[in-house]
Amino acid sequence: MSRLRTRRLLAPTLAALALLTACTAQEKPDNRDDNAPRPGTVRVLASSELGDMTEVLDEIADDTGIEVRPTYMGTLDAVDLVAKGEADGRYDALWLSSNDYLRLRPEAARKVVSETPIMSSPVAIGVKSASLAELGWEPKDVTWKQVEQAVQDGKLTYGMTDPARSHSGFATLVSVASALSGAQSALTDADVTKATPRLKEFFTGQKLTSGSSGWLATAYKRRGNVDALLNYESVLTGIPGLTVVRPKDGVVTADYPLSSLASSDGTAREDVRRLTEALRTDDIQRLITERTRRRPVVASVPVASGLDTGRRRELPFPGSLSVAEGLLDAYENELRRPSRTVYVLDTSGSMKGDRLAQLKRALTALTGDFREREEVTLMPFGSDVKSVRTHVVEPAYPKSGLDGIRKDTAALSAQGDTAIYTSLRKAYEHLGSGQDTFTSIVLMTDGENTTGADAADFRRFYDGLDKAARETPVFPILFGDSSKAELQGIADLTGGRLFDAEEGSLDGAFEEIRGYQ
Amino acid sequence: MLLIGGVVAAVVAGRAEERSTATKTVRAVIGSEKAEFFADPDVVDALAAKGYTVKAETSGSWAMEGLDLKGYDLALPSSQAPAVELAGKYKVTGTLPRPFYSPLVVVAHKNAAGVLAANGLATLDEAHRGTLKMAGYLDAARKDRTWQQLKGSEKYGELTGTLYLSSTDPVTSNSGALYLAAASYVENGGKVVADDAAVKRTAPLLRKLVSVQGAQQAGSDAVFRDFVSGSGNPLVVVYESQVASLLREGQQPDDLVVLYPDTTVNSDHTVVPLTEDGKAVAELLSQDATLRDLEVRHGFRPHGGPPEFASGATYLKQELTGVHQAAVPTSEVLRELARRAKG
Repeated sequence: MSRLRTRRLLAPTLAALALLTACTAQEKPDNRDDNAPRPGTVRVLASSELGDMTEVLDEIADDTGIEVRPTYMGTLDAVDLVAKGEADGRYDALWLSSNDYLRLRPEAARKVVSETPIMSSPVAIGVKSASLAELGWEPKDVTWKQVEQAVQDGKLTYGMTDPARSHSGFATLVSVASALSGAQSALTDADVTKATPRLKEFFTGQKLTSGSSGWLATAYKRRGNVDALLNYESVLTGIPGLTVVRPKDGVVTADYPLSSLASSDGTAREDVRRLTEALRTDDIQRLITERTRRRPVVASVPVASGLDTGRRRELPFPGSLSVAEGLLDAYENELRRPSRTVYVLDTSGSMKGDRLAQLKRALTALTGDFREREEVTLMPFGSDVKSVRTHVVEPAYPKSGLDGIRKDTAALSAQGDTAIYTSLRKAYEHLGSGQDTFTSIVLMTDGENTTGADAADFRRFYDGLDKAARETPVFPILFGDSSKAELQGIADLTGGRLFDAEEGSLDGAFEEIRGYQ
Repeated sequence: MLLIGGVVAAVVAGRAEERSTATKTVRAVIGSEKAEFFADPDVVDALAAKGYTVKAETSGSWAMEGLDLKGYDLALPSSQAPAVELAGKYKVTGTLPRPFYSPLVVVAHKNAAGVLAANGLATLDEAHRGTLKMAGYLDAARKDRTWQQLKGSEKYGELTGTLYLSSTDPVTSNSGALYLAAASYVENGGKVVADDAAVKRTAPLLRKLVSVQGAQQAGSDAVFRDFVSGSGNPLVVVYESQVASLLREGQQPDDLVVLYPDTTVNSDHTVVPLTEDGKAVAELLSQDATLRDLEVRHGFRPHGGPPEFASGATYLKQELTGVHQAAVPTSEVLRELARRAKG
């Protein structure tokens, strides 16, 4: 098995982190000045999914006077930040969906002094009710093997979040790999190798990938042709029309430990302790399970009605970093369907100078992140598309594809007007439809459309595409003097999502979009 | 050795703080499982009545060695071995007071306990209480026995995969280390592991007990919470005091069976007095009738006489008859066992 080791696995740049915060959280991103420690305020670095705890935290603030100032981030990115020591002094507590991954990184685990699970939610499968009936499944008896069979028979397609960026995706991957490998205890490298053919087959059923649970639900609704979603039970119960199934042969459960950090001082740790205590009172545990559909961790509070209380086997989480990263690596480079992406890049006259330099830097950095088998097309444009250059990262010799991307990037030059819609149309024409890949278009522009087709022309064009081609989303990046309204319109029309490089950086935006490709 | 560094949360001294002029402040560093005890207003009052306000900060028992205890009056780790190390480091002489203890037990879901009993790996003397046969269990572990191979398990979908007890990480956490202490004692033919030969002999099995678990939790509270929330492995090693504490809250969990390993070890909460005031508080914890009652209320067993666990008699053994309490290896040996078990 040849694998791409140069990829910056789980190690996005700091800028990417800042941007991620800006995009996924309702909160304003922390800026250093107003992030100073304050007694009674706990600065929490939290998994993005915990955005649904606002009401609970407000209640706690009313009751105890302790305010939580959250900064949301993907779990794996947060662990990375802690490991590098960049959370020191900036946060008083860490609140991830699980510390399983953190424990595999001793340099991160060392930063945590105590941890207290607050609630739990298992990985589950949300199946569209019509599909469930067709499959003839009894929800409480479904096994991963049945799911696998249904995928093989072409009767089930699904979506899930990207395991390299989201803990729900990672936990799902571990659940599937453990169940299908037949491993009787914690996964080993040998188990993963042995299960590779079956896993590959299983992942042919994955038709939707996402960097976040929120967009996964939105895209699922829009497509209408995906039968199921794999995610945490708490996320799936919030999506109408899904029957939530916890496979009988085992799940991985998130237990949301609130962890105090060694770098914080005594006052802050005391506030964290009080917050922990408040979160575990009966009233708050009741509120948690009712509002977020997660399960309480105190015996005195029953789970919210509608959540099945039947026992499930808990699949052990890998005990070593090599197994965890090996699995992730296999998923990215071998197991999942490859992606085909067109980068529609504004190289009009206004990009000249620093902007073009930024673009080149960001694209070059991205070459460390492309997966094996991935097809990348660079489509620089000004008054029209200037060139169409396609590179494939071949598993046997990945370097040549990546070198090609770097070379073409270096050759970009800025001149001409801004023909956004004409260029997008060409991107769709280039991608066509019918290939078994995750296709998407990234649009980077620093200005408004000034020439060629206009928004109405593009809409007509898009509406005339066949259904399969319309499933290709455009992920526009807000940069320079581009128009938020225009780009949001493109994202909405095509089922994409707008990314903001103004709050963060261009590197960060490109990096975050990787989760959606 | 991974030290989860530093002192954790200061446990608030509560009501007594208001009258702190009348009391002497005693600074203590304690294992986290005793934080609730020292924060209990009744405990605060009982100590204040004797003239003391205890300001307690928590730390992992094995991490205390890495702290600078200058300015502290006492340390109270949850095990004798780290206490002995601390006493050596701070040149504390004399017998170290051991006010109370708590045996390691296994909490089981009902289905799991039933299947173990049906296969001779456990006996149940009450619906919620029984004994785990350690030799039998370790033999099953050695042979990679799965639940599927045990008769009666087919009725329960959740009982599949390798049969194992979940514990905390033995390198950082006391309860995980004590689990290895108990297992190594049995594996070593009923003798405490004390030399290299015995370490070598027992290490392969210990390695197995740990590696099947995959990622382990860092603290005993976390594994217990997972169990309570219905997730996690159906068999979990915890302190008896954690169960007692849950039962004290008036809970009668239906899906809980407490299995006492027939060979277990005690978490021997041991005081390292660093000053005269520390010594006085240690004395109170051992002798004061009110404090002893409160210790029982928090699920600890004061030395000298069985406790009266008012609630949860159907879950807990009042007297530990039939439970052999193995000695714990020296901390040096125990760390070596933990290190090898982690691989």
